[in-house]
Amino acid sequence: MAADTAVAASPEETLESLLREAEALKQKLEEERQKLNDVSLSCVAERLETIAFPNLKLRRMLKGHQSKVLCSDWSPDKRHIVSSSQDGKVMVWDAFTATKELTIAMPSTWVMACAYAPSGNLVAAGGLDNKVTVFPLAGGEDEPAARKRTVATHTSYMSCCLFPNTDRQILTGSGDGTCALWDVESGQLLQSFQAHAADVMALDLAPSDMGDTFVSGGCDRAVLVWDMRTGQAVQAFDTHDSDVNSVKYHPSGDSLVTGSDDSCCRLFDLRADREVARYSKESIIFGVNSVEWSVSGRLVFAGYSDYTACAWDALRGARVCVLCGHEHRVTRVQLAPDGTALSTASWDATIRIWA
Amino acid sequence: MDMMVSTLQQQRAVTEQLRREAAIKRVPVSVVVSDIVKYINEHEQEDCLLVGFSSQKVNPFREKSSCTVL
Repeated sequence: MAADTAVAASPEETLESLLREAEALKQKLEEERQKLNDVSLSCVAERLETIAFPNLKLRRMLKGHQSKVLCSDWSPDKRHIVSSSQDGKVMVWDAFTATKELTIAMPSTWVMACAYAPSGNLVAAGGLDNKVTVFPLAGGEDEPAARKRTVATHTSYMSCCLFPNTDRQILTGSGDGTCALWDVESGQLLQSFQAHAADVMALDLAPSDMGDTFVSGGCDRAVLVWDMRTGQAVQAFDTHDSDVNSVKYHPSGDSLVTGSDDSCCRLFDLRADREVARYSKESIIFGVNSVEWSVSGRLVFAGYSDYTACAWDALRGARVCVLCGHEHRVTRVQLAPDGTALSTASWDATIRIWA
Repeated sequence: MDMMVSTLQQQRAVTEQLRREAAIKRVPVSVVVSDIVKYINEHEQEDCLLVGFSSQKVNPFREKSSCTVL
């Protein structure tokens, strides 16, 4: 009994003291972040020269899925695209010729995520099956489906996946609220990342010279930056008013853009540790499903539930171009690896290439 | 009791997370904004979707010519 009292009395150990400290830390964080907010991005941008933004035109249309396209990913060869759909299929396309090269049938519908490996020889996909399955593309006449390997299993749907600069590992995000790093060969869980209070919706890897960090966004409205080696969240941004559906590092690696169901994209700077810009308009009332940068980081591309995609001037915060044509919500926008084209995937069952 | 222990553990994790965040070194927004502008200026010319293609021939997704050599 005496021991219990002693433990409870220790300032480190009581719930009350922890709560009190948490509140004090939150306030301190807010004050510190505000103190360094000495100028606004749009204010600086006003002094820059205006530039004429080119209009992106529709160049290719990839048709073949029977239902909503939920995800797509460019091959490192800058030519092929893998896509996954509600119809339970994963397809590999030649984007130059707009032809389908391969169809892989998945065990369940709603294949929510797909990704190309850095070598271009593997694709990974999964979704409502709670799994990530890896398919080798090269290597003879065998069907890729016959040589598949199930790598990861979550306790809820798998919403996003990527290869962290190697074919040997895969990083996943899930409706079970965790992110996880897996060994592709053995299927072993290498590291689990737990701090989201709800479903994880999006992942992005820091540009390669930034070391082993990645960012995640989720239905708890939080954006978390993780240290891949320790499994700890090192930074958090929580200014969105609804689910965070997409996150993407600026090419410099110093900031990130996010898209949310609150119909707003936000720019967070890692070094300032705060939000530095918002991309929104009163007329935009539908959620943002996907965000992407242009090569220089001047343009932010966003795909919306109102069937459009658009480009924002990241510095001035003005919308400079709207991509119309999709007949249902846009689920994914992604730049080709060489920056020469933008792909958009949609619930209208098509993938379109703009340049 | 188990419930209390797990609540305590959860709160400890939250507080530890906040301690780490509070310890981050921060840079003024004016500095990071000028670095963002600098990065964009340095890479503007490589950005085809921003400055366009030097000629449509280098656009891999240009419209295919209607004439083909047989």
